[in-house]
Amino acid sequence: MSKEPDIVKNAICTFCGCVCDDIELTVDPDGKRITKATNACVLGKSWFLEHKVEDYPVAMINGKEVSFEEAVEEAAQVFVNAKFPAIYGLSDTTCEAQKEAVAIADYLNGNIDTTTSVCHGPTGMAFQGVGESTASLGEIKNRADFVMYWGGNPAEAHPRHFERYAVTAKGMNTPNGKEDRTVAMVDIRPTSSSLIADIFLQIKPGSDFELLWAMRAMVKGKALDNTLEERTGISMEKLENLVERMKNCQFGVIFFGMGLTMTRGRHFNAGALLELATDLNDFTHFVALPTRGHGNVTGADNVVSWQTGFPFGVNFNRGYPRFNPGEFTTSDLLGRGEADALCVIASDPASNFSQKAIEHIKSIPVISLDPKPSVTSQLARVAFTTATYGINVAGTVYRMDNVALKLRPAFKSPFPSDEEVLRAIKHRICELRGIMINKTAAA
Amino acid sequence: MKLSLHTQPDVPLEADVIFPDLLLEKTVSEAAALEIFHGNEKTTLGDFFTITDENNDGTVEVEGDLSKVKLLGSGMSFGRLKIIGNVGAHLGAGMSGGEIIVEGDAGDWVGREISGGRIIIKGDAGHMVGSVVRGSSIGIQGGEIIISGSVKNELGNGMRRGLIAVGGDSGDFTGVNMKAGTIVVLGQLGQRPGAGMVRGTIISTHNAELLPTFTYDTTYRPTVLKSIFIYLRKLGFSLDDEYINGNYQRWSGDSIELNKGEIFLYAE
Ligand code: SF4
Repeated sequence: MSKEPDIVKNAICTFCGCVCDDIELTVDPDGKRITKATNACVLGKSWFLEHKVEDYPVAMINGKEVSFEEAVEEAAQVFVNAKFPAIYGLSDTTCEAQKEAVAIADYLNGNIDTTTSVCHGPTGMAFQGVGESTASLGEIKNRADFVMYWGGNPAEAHPRHFERYAVTAKGMNTPNGKEDRTVAMVDIRPTSSSLIADIFLQIKPGSDFELLWAMRAMVKGKALDNTLEERTGISMEKLENLVERMKNCQFGVIFFGMGLTMTRGRHFNAGALLELATDLNDFTHFVALPTRGHGNVTGADNVVSWQTGFPFGVNFNRGYPRFNPGEFTTSDLLGRGEADALCVIASDPASNFSQKAIEHIKSIPVISLDPKPSVTSQLARVAFTTATYGINVAGTVYRMDNVALKLRPAFKSPFPSDEEVLRAIKHRICELRGIMINKTAAA
Repeated sequence: MKLSLHTQPDVPLEADVIFPDLLLEKTVSEAAALEIFHGNEKTTLGDFFTITDENNDGTVEVEGDLSKVKLLGSGMSFGRLKIIGNVGAHLGAGMSGGEIIVEGDAGDWVGREISGGRIIIKGDAGHMVGSVVRGSSIGIQGGEIIISGSVKNELGNGMRRGLIAVGGDSGDFTGVNMKAGTIVVLGQLGQRPGAGMVRGTIISTHNAELLPTFTYDTTYRPTVLKSIFIYLRKLGFSLDDEYINGNYQRWSGDSIELNKGEIFLYAE
């Protein structure tokens, strides 16, 4: 007798920072794959439909299959014997797992950092430096009549951003969707996103800061020299026109991506944009939001912040948290050869860090947690295969506007979740270190 | 007192006990027992350094490859700290007096948030020399940082008072968010010098591209530059007479802030 397929309504896609929560999943009766993902975009569809339960070992030590317990023991030993254990990744897992990772860093007096440090870390630094004027995506959908994207290509990276939140989305005060909005795009080349823009500024590469600074001067009515066009590729007249429209809108928003934060100037670029939004509040309501990439990178910032006081790049070596991007951010400290053990959760630094950092990764014991094999997991001393969050694992994730959402997983995985692995390692570390904790409590 | 590194640290060594105020009051064995952090592990100074009581002239000398040793001379208020070799991050952090001399290169955050004293580096230094710590807005409030070589980004970020002189080039955002004080760069300034500066002076003996929010005032021969350059000569910088007596363009900025900052660029 054939079973009816299971339907999961309002499931959440964690593939990108949009974290769409209106997906309807059809689960095959065998409970091992998803056959349909209604409402999801192309990226979301392939995220759900291509997910299979593979036949990987649950855990490996030096490439050899071992039991879960043996791997936990080995990982805990690596950790307690390290003088500078570094934990990294965390953007593609649940907040519950992130919380365990912070606890481990704390018990070990180690270092904790997330992939924020290599994407919107500069934004985090800018928030701290200049503040943030922000809104939820719901508010933007309902109110924003001026929408600007700076240094990002949402049509490809966040395909439903336009439709669900900011461009074609119809809201309370924007009943006609795009017709009620002015859409501006700033990028160094035309993209599939810029096609829909009412105003497109193609700027010279590396001139974001100059342009933002000029816009700030215009908004504040301050002196500006006339070399702007030569330097940024944007004429004074065009910019004046744009600034006027920004000052005269009802509710403006600037979304910014890694095209701004990861180019020369980094946190100053992000800071300049946040300050521009602040300056515009002298005239109208204006907010600025980073478009975050990974599904729960915003959750990582939130969890690390509420547990340590800082969003990423946090060090506990001396028993209390210290924050210093550049010093305690993983790519930098590995590049200087500083950590003596590394734990990577759902990330692949061995394939995308600098050569110097990768060389150092190869020279120290690595613990990896990943649903799929990666370059990092292949060179890891201890590698765990974990269940995929959102598809197999329940928990909490944060959308890019810091709104927390509960995951609705489709089916069970034979693999443990990141949270279970990290909690088991944490308990073993506490036993080895003689730290008393309440094992039954979720914390 | 002399300290020689006998064991290379595997991970950063936070040796914030190495400063004259503390060490000059200790005997050799007391100094060797001082606690430091090797990563997350508490160890003692003696585990890494051979300590001898060599000179009694108020100088603490440290030698070896100290590139993984952080916080040397932090918080010092008098005496001399002489370092022979390369040194790691946060050298002289928060110092208020005394002198540090480094015969080698230094890491990032040299002299962050100092309020007095003098730091002399014979080689190059890293990012954030004489700057704020992340999250605060006021950098150095006095003192002098003299670097013979080049430095990286954010030299003098948030500086409030004092003098920073660099013999080589500086990185991007030199003097960013400066409140006051003087920065001299005898080499090339990186991109966007003086961004967000309120007051203060940045001087370079080379030309530089400034932000659109800086305006050209005039070209002249300011006497004050002459005095600064003659002072730098005394500190050991080799400076041709043409720079000392030359004409300089004066630019005002940053207009987004008070517009009371000044940048002087050599104009022959
Ligand atoms: S926009 Fe992002 S979160 Fe939404 S369905 Fe597509 S990939 Fe998933």
